[in-house]
Amino acid sequence: MSNHGLPPLDPQKGSWDEEALSRRRFLELGFWSAAGAAGLTVGGAGLRFLAGNSFDPKPEHWVEVGAVADLPSGRVHRAAYKVRTTDVWREVEKVGLLYAFSDDGAEYTVLEATCSHLGCNVHWREESGHFACPCHNGAFTREGEVVSGPPPAPLRQLSTKIENGILLALV
Amino acid sequence: MSIALEESKEQATPKSRPGLRDFLGVIGVWLDERTGFLNAIQQFLTYPVPKYVHKNLLYSLGGVTLIAFMLQLATGLLLSFYYDPSPEEAYNSVDYVTYQLPLGWLIRGLHYYNASAIVILVTLHLLRTFSFSAYKKPREITWLSGVMLLLVTLGFAFTGYLLPWDQRGYWATKVGTEIAGSAPVMGQWVLRLLRGGPELGQATLTRFYVTHMLLLPGALLALIALHLHQLRYHGMAPPITKRAQALADKFVPFFPHWVVVDATLGVILLGLLIYLSWTWRAPLEFPADPTSTDFLPRPEWYFLFLFQLLKYFPGPLEPLATMLIPALVVGSLVALPFLDRSEERRPWRKPITTVVAVIYVVGLVILTLLAWQADQ
Repeated sequence: MSNHGLPPLDPQKGSWDEEALSRRRFLELGFWSAAGAAGLTVGGAGLRFLAGNSFDPKPEHWVEVGAVADLPSGRVHRAAYKVRTTDVWREVEKVGLLYAFSDDGAEYTVLEATCSHLGCNVHWREESGHFACPCHNGAFTREGEVVSGPPPAPLRQLSTKIENGILLALV
Repeated sequence: MSIALEESKEQATPKSRPGLRDFLGVIGVWLDERTGFLNAIQQFLTYPVPKYVHKNLLYSLGGVTLIAFMLQLATGLLLSFYYDPSPEEAYNSVDYVTYQLPLGWLIRGLHYYNASAIVILVTLHLLRTFSFSAYKKPREITWLSGVMLLLVTLGFAFTGYLLPWDQRGYWATKVGTEIAGSAPVMGQWVLRLLRGGPELGQATLTRFYVTHMLLLPGALLALIALHLHQLRYHGMAPPITKRAQALADKFVPFFPHWVVVDATLGVILLGLLIYLSWTWRAPLEFPADPTSTDFLPRPEWYFLFLFQLLKYFPGPLEPLATMLIPALVVGSLVALPFLDRSEERRPWRKPITTVVAVIYVVGLVILTLLAWQADQ
């Protein structure tokens, strides 16, 4: 009578090979070690593969906001930009929306239109003098500071420079 | 005399119905001798369904949901033959399917409207199961696999929304992924993984496409298999009304008696979906435009309650609406069979779970209506 715990076989069929069963614990250990090592290798590599370049810093580009001559002071200007960039493996023309204004025509403030709350585009409301977000009713001053609503931070203010009479912003 | 007696005996014995084997012919019998499938199929089809189940259409909600899922897999497979998963061409391919491809309006319309039908059917099926206390021991795994199927359904809805790469899908996904990004500690990390980078683009579309086309269907089929296996393993939960209890010892075969009921309802659903697709073609907004300010981003109607909830928790409280409350609702569904362990199955005799369920349903309906009303 063996104590290997396997169900008895029909004697007509045959019997368990008791000698082979003595290696059972060793073979089980071997199986789980091999399966574990292979699983960790494929799983780990798979996770790293899936993450890919997701955490790379956002590439920065200087984009044209417009000719300074077309951006008179005292008004908020809406500017859609285009820039050639790489979207993973694809060469694309990325587009985005900015707002620019100046008090003196020399120093410009350029804000990204993306609401700091959940990423919708804000639009400028001349009558109330603030930026409004259509998604959850966030409101910002002309300088991008939060007036009301859920946004947790101001609108992102971009670095600017003027070259050959063209206002550029770093997106 | 003896001959006459034998003849009358023969007439008195009812003729046995031909079995599955008789229909299959030589090839079928040959196959069965090698595979042994016939017995399993026969058992599956002749499974005894209690009469109280057969008599109550509410029990067919699960079957109709299954039919709707199959229709969604079929129409999704068909759409994938034409869909181009790139930000440049996704919109054009969906536009082509909708407006130029023969019967494209029908296949996309069925897929579009059936998505909403599935959300409704899954919810009603869950409410039926809850009301009849079918989640109780020993059917916890059936219930849990059902809750997982609800989550998979919502996952399908969220990932499918982006695929046409139109204004509606683009902005809903932008907001949806930002919501994940607003979670404390891990938020930004999750956002990057969902999008495959800092912004919505090719990587996001590919991720959503693969999730919608491979991962979720795989999970769906595995969960349905588990759900149905558990249903057959435990049988139907006991009846809760006296009228149903009176029918508890009478049974009908699964095929054709019960199947024909589900199939009839399935055909009615198909007719309704064809009517909807014909009358109101599946919508396609303008192509996604990251510079637009005139499009009002809104989620699909079944996520409007979350959108409305967000309005009541501004600033640092926002994760309460986006994370904590949904997690508590899903958590309570998961915990239900382990919390409500009494023998009582009648909802009117277990007020706590009934009241909580009513609050959930009323809350959901009110929040959805408020969100809808605010936009009118």
